[in-house]
Amino acid sequence: MSMPPQGAYTCPYCRIPSDGGGGTCPHCGAPVDVRMRVSDSGWIEQPPIRDMARIRFNRSTCQISGTYVPVAEMNLHPDDSIYFSHHVLLHTGPDVQLDAKKMSGGWNRRLAGMPLIMMTARGPGHMALSADHPGDTLAVPLQANQAVDVAEHRFLAATGNVDYQWLKIHVWFATQSGSDNNDREMHYPAGRFLDKFTAHNGPGLLLLHAPGNVFVRDLRPGEHILVQPSSFLWKDPSVRMNLHFEYPRGQYWFSSARWEAKSIWLTLGGPGRVAVQSVFERPEAVGRVVDDCGATRQFW
Amino acid sequence: MDRIECQWCKAQNEPDRTSCTTCGAPLDKQNLVSDSGWAEAPRLRDMTEFRFSNSTCQIEGEIVPVAELALAPGDSVFFEHHVMLWKEPNVPMSAMKTAGGMKRMLGGMPHILSIAHGPGRIAFSRDATGEVVVLPLHPSMELDVREHAFLAGTHSLDYSFVRIKGLANVMHGGGGMYMDRFVTHSAPGLLLLHGYGNVFQKTLQPGEKILVEPGGFLYKDSSVTMNTVKQGLRTGLTSHNMFLAEMTGPGRVGIQSMYVHHHSE
Repeated sequence: MSMPPQGAYTCPYCRIPSDGGGGTCPHCGAPVDVRMRVSDSGWIEQPPIRDMARIRFNRSTCQISGTYVPVAEMNLHPDDSIYFSHHVLLHTGPDVQLDAKKMSGGWNRRLAGMPLIMMTARGPGHMALSADHPGDTLAVPLQANQAVDVAEHRFLAATGNVDYQWLKIHVWFATQSGSDNNDREMHYPAGRFLDKFTAHNGPGLLLLHAPGNVFVRDLRPGEHILVQPSSFLWKDPSVRMNLHFEYPRGQYWFSSARWEAKSIWLTLGGPGRVAVQSVFERPEAVGRVVDDCGATRQFW
Repeated sequence: MDRIECQWCKAQNEPDRTSCTTCGAPLDKQNLVSDSGWAEAPRLRDMTEFRFSNSTCQIEGEIVPVAELALAPGDSVFFEHHVMLWKEPNVPMSAMKTAGGMKRMLGGMPHILSIAHGPGRIAFSRDATGEVVVLPLHPSMELDVREHAFLAGTHSLDYSFVRIKGLANVMHGGGGMYMDRFVTHSAPGLLLLHGYGNVFQKTLQPGEKILVEPGGFLYKDSSVTMNTVKQGLRTGLTSHNMFLAEMTGPGRVGIQSMYVHHHSE
């Protein structure tokens, strides 16, 4: 059988053309020979990267092995480097050069519970990374100057030419509690910071790890979707985020002003792609909201 | 017709077998080995059965697998009591005396290992997503296992625990103070481990080294030496140290992909 010409196949997940040979997309590792699974409401299930599938970046490769907590094993070329949070390093060959990556805002990062130390690894050699939750490891190839916003603690690794910034998420609310209503508590249901990755000087590769399964959808301009705040995984920068409170109809003890029963949602507004993970933490939904980031409300 | 050699445990199997009679590894699937030589532990098929002594072990489930043993009269297995999932009421139990009670207490290891005697059925599982790793041990083998990783061992195994040498290894190695050591003498034995996430094994040549996150270490042949190496990291005005386990061959090293990172300081 003759191989299809380069560009004959466009991966529906990363949208980058390739020759479609080899069974998996060389840019994101998605299988090429499975039918896309789309829910009735339009969520596309991100297929797990096949065991031992290889992803190319620059002159190096990344091989994904395992299925429960997949391992990303890098075969780094001497000209290539990656960076990662130091706690995801699983093993490394003695030849790989490990160094610390310069990071700004250490105090803010510590306050936000973000890793203080980022490491760089430079080839030649093999080294491997893995996260600490069962779930999907996904590769997000970035075209030159393309950026994505990622929920904190989901980053696994990125190629050296991908710029990393972290931004405050303006999704918060404050509650008041205590016998005299003097205890004010701040809540950041989607985390306090967002990791922003931008590819410079050519295409780059970003690896994320999400607990559970991953689902992606394209939001049209003006289209909105409500998601659990901690299920948010990544989005195009064009997608806007906001907080939404939903108050159920009816009166019962839990709906009193003190407890203020409600659902807390993260609103994602198009245009652009968004991804969510199926494992999330329940937000603390009790307490009277006394201040917020400009949240919208729905009283049923 | 040629017999089939299991790629995982090297046991010989009848030509019509689809899984190894000694370790349960699928025989009709190629071993998956990464570019750098890490072999994935075989994913045992649901309900796979294999034999040890006169007894059988069946692996059930895939996310947190259960090892169900049908113990023949005269056979027994030992285990940490909290991994016991269920048992038939008539399976006799006893306690294995372990030396060094105070050391075990200090090391956070259970004082007593339980022994279940055949005949009867008993099942074991651990508490998180992972894989059951079946390691048949031939006579005169020594295997060191991360503490709290073993699920069950057969009666022919000699169990002891060894202190991890070197204060730096204990303080910064992330594997606790002790390792479980399993030794076979004249008879073969079977060891069942539970690795969190996925499990990989690499065979190191004499003098070959690999650096492993200490929390990822699962098992090693006792011929593999383990040392802790410090990786200095400087961020701005502060400096940090990270510790990695340096494994030096010859022998096998097993790692797990899900672990609690041993914090840098």
